[in-house]
Amino acid sequence: MSRKIILRVSIAILGIFIAIALAAPLLAPAGPYAITGKPLQAPDADHLFGTNEVGQDIFAQLVYGARITLLFGFCSALLAVVISTSVGIIIGYYGGIVDEIVCRAIDVVMPIPMFVLLIVLTTFFSPGVLQVSLLMGLLGSVHGIRIMRSQVLSVARTSFVEGAKAIGASDFHVMFRHILPNVMPLVMVKFVTTSQHMLVMGVGLSFIGMWDTSTVDWGTMIQNAYSGGGVALGLWWWILPPGIAVVGISLALALIGYSFEEKFNPRVGVNRI
Amino acid sequence: MISGKYLLQRLCYSGASFIVCLTITFFLLHLMPGDYISNYLLSLSNTLPKEIVDQFREQFGLNLPLTQQYVLYLGNILHGQWGYSYAYGQPVLSMIFGKLCWSLVLLVPATILGILIGTVIGAWSGWKSGGKKDFAVFNVMIVIRAIPEFWWAIMAVMIFAFYLQWFPLGGYASISVLSTGLDFFDVLHHALLPIILMTFFIATGNYYVMRNSMIAVIGEDYITTARAKGLDERTILWRHALKNALLPMVTITTFQCAGIIMGNIFIETVFSWPGIGYLTTQALTNRDLPLLEGIFLLDSLITIGAMLVADILSSAIDPRIRMGTDE
Amino acid sequence: MSETKGGVAGVQEQTRSVRELICISGLKVIFSSRSGPVRAVDSVDLAIREGERIGLIGESGSGKTVTGMAILGLLPVNAVIIGKIRYGDYDLLTAPDRTLQQIRGNEIAMISQNSGSSLNPVMKIGDQVAEPLVIHRICSVPDAHREAIRILAELGFDDPEQAATRYPHEFSGGMRERILIAIALVCRPHLIVADEPTAGLDAQVRARILKLITSQISGNRTLFLITHDLGAASYLCDRIAVMYAGEIVECGPAKDVLSLPLHPYTQGLIASLPSAGLHPIPGMSPSPASLPRGCRFCERCPAVLDRCDCDHPELVFTESGRQVRCFHYD
Repeated sequence: MSRKIILRVSIAILGIFIAIALAAPLLAPAGPYAITGKPLQAPDADHLFGTNEVGQDIFAQLVYGARITLLFGFCSALLAVVISTSVGIIIGYYGGIVDEIVCRAIDVVMPIPMFVLLIVLTTFFSPGVLQVSLLMGLLGSVHGIRIMRSQVLSVARTSFVEGAKAIGASDFHVMFRHILPNVMPLVMVKFVTTSQHMLVMGVGLSFIGMWDTSTVDWGTMIQNAYSGGGVALGLWWWILPPGIAVVGISLALALIGYSFEEKFNPRVGVNRI
Repeated sequence: MISGKYLLQRLCYSGASFIVCLTITFFLLHLMPGDYISNYLLSLSNTLPKEIVDQFREQFGLNLPLTQQYVLYLGNILHGQWGYSYAYGQPVLSMIFGKLCWSLVLLVPATILGILIGTVIGAWSGWKSGGKKDFAVFNVMIVIRAIPEFWWAIMAVMIFAFYLQWFPLGGYASISVLSTGLDFFDVLHHALLPIILMTFFIATGNYYVMRNSMIAVIGEDYITTARAKGLDERTILWRHALKNALLPMVTITTFQCAGIIMGNIFIETVFSWPGIGYLTTQALTNRDLPLLEGIFLLDSLITIGAMLVADILSSAIDPRIRMGTDE
Repeated sequence: MSETKGGVAGVQEQTRSVRELICISGLKVIFSSRSGPVRAVDSVDLAIREGERIGLIGESGSGKTVTGMAILGLLPVNAVIIGKIRYGDYDLLTAPDRTLQQIRGNEIAMISQNSGSSLNPVMKIGDQVAEPLVIHRICSVPDAHREAIRILAELGFDDPEQAATRYPHEFSGGMRERILIAIALVCRPHLIVADEPTAGLDAQVRARILKLITSQISGNRTLFLITHDLGAASYLCDRIAVMYAGEIVECGPAKDVLSLPLHPYTQGLIASLPSAGLHPIPGMSPSPASLPRGCRFCERCPAVLDRCDCDHPELVFTESGRQVRCFHYD
């Protein structure tokens, strides 16, 4: 069906981007900072996507930028999903006072605007990309804990979990051998959708100048081109490549996410009862 | 409809939330290595004499015990004394309010339109879920949503402002305001494109929530009961399904609204619109911590306020919350 | 409100003979699923006579609820439906939506199961009970509310006026079931399809609800009861049809079917009752996605014949006028 084709194309796009990021030194041996041409050169055979305002090759910046952008997206999503899954499983499984305390704590933390808190914290620390991504993962996990918890609750009450407990399986065994595999589909969906959010957020943050502008990623490339007048001067090759790259990968991740969601949670998107 | 006791309870809860926010900010900023006055002074120059630094610390009360500092800080915030911007030297609170007004020029129309459009299309799409039209609308929404806001904004500026020249490239008014004063139509001309974009974005966000919520509602038994009564589909949708589907919407949407103030940051940056978002980027570039802290507090206030509104609204719609019974 | 009602189908209430109110013939309902087509209902022929109280019994998944929903035209849109359900001059399976909407609630009403979720949680009880009267334009809105309060009082609400202004979550399961009965009865329909009205209720409440239904279904009002509760069926019904794996396997007067069951499945059902010594039928019903070629009960049947495995029995009349689907009675 057409859904299947969309999913395959999306996975292919994602694969291509990851391959490009991994193979960056092969694709652009001069590196992203080397000045290899005249400033603002239009695309030609030497510079596939032209050059920026100081004569750095845009293609080289794009492939190296992919590393940072993808790293940011996947790292923070991974951390967020790991934290929310493990905390969700633990509080959902034990319930009682632990559950109560964590839930109340989440209630209190929820109204804190994470986005601005993130900005304040990074302003104070001026950390690197990796630290910011870990921080975002940490802050982003709060919301997911609740979702995982309710999913765990629906599994933990089922008979096979009771059965496993009855035959004397350890808590750890029940949580990770019986409950985890059952919430895994949701974890997968969450990972993909969170990666997409985090990736877009990361590009956005660097677009507004959140971290060191000397690190080349797609956000800073767009920021440079936009504030440098790329739009007003009509220098399309300066601003379009990083933007199209973000749109491409974000779309691919979003479509993969929705396909997964439909597969694992048939209530979303299909049948009318 | 709503009991005073419930309202009071929610108000107390909101107040407590704000104090928690304040406390967290305070301790985050004060328990970090170094204090921010010293850090700021050091960032200006490495060779500042120790006496000057100490003098500043004393002026800002940084030599006091932490608990006393905390009480002072709390008192100042509650009295509207939010500190002074490093970069502009103006009181943070008045700066924020000046910019907030401009943000609201974009936000108020965009939010109202966006919620209306998103809810109606979402309800319709959820009701028709599984059909061809729903499939088409749903996919269009995925695509719109997946493209980052700032990229939509840049593309819009490129196409409508640069190539077609229907709209100005950015800013809130033409240069001529310096001599003639603000003109409503001039501001509208500048605001239209960002408003349209934001409406677009708010609508797609709402669309998802509403659609999912509607799909959950159509599976419910009371919809079957309504059909068995002989109601036509349209009446079932508007009289029975919509109100139930709106319940989860209210909380999520108000929450989203609170986030919009900050989400606005991208659109304001691209359009150089002098609102809170733009102020944030400026503060970020200048590493203007008191200003950022003020923005953070404002945002906490808005979010907490939005949650209060959400609670009141959902209790107005849902008798189960109103009566205090949980089911 | 007049006691007699012409109705869309022009059914006359005066003819008190054994007129057929609804005639289901060759009804098949097929759902598509990931594991292939699911034949939820397969070739059901059943006539519902005016004024009778007929029970359709069977275990969950046997297709009894689907049959009930087919009568009301409330099957999901993804269901493939074959056959005819004749009601007056109409075929309920092909009638236009507008006609079905006029019939539903007004002439054929439903008492649904799950009293917990079948009432709209954000609408007042009074409005929900009065709604059928208003939409079928039987009376004005204030009159409809008066009528709703009257029927709530009749159904055992102590303070019906106050109850009408309350919301579903404020009532117990038994009270909610009464509200559902009120919704079904408020338009004085010809036929009431009751789908497991006693599910999830405790013994006391169940007894009261059953009494209430008997007292309300009188005269020439017809009841179509769908249940797995043999006790309820024997108490309420004068005729019983037994369904197994999408087919009717036995049909006859309630007394006869319960005291002298013909089909091995019915015999098994009755033997599995606590009063008969709790002897469950061994095995499980076949999955509706992969039905056996021969008799659908042959794997579990204690009296299986050679031909049961490969030939499919038809529903035949016995000498006493009962119907059964088993080779033993050929």
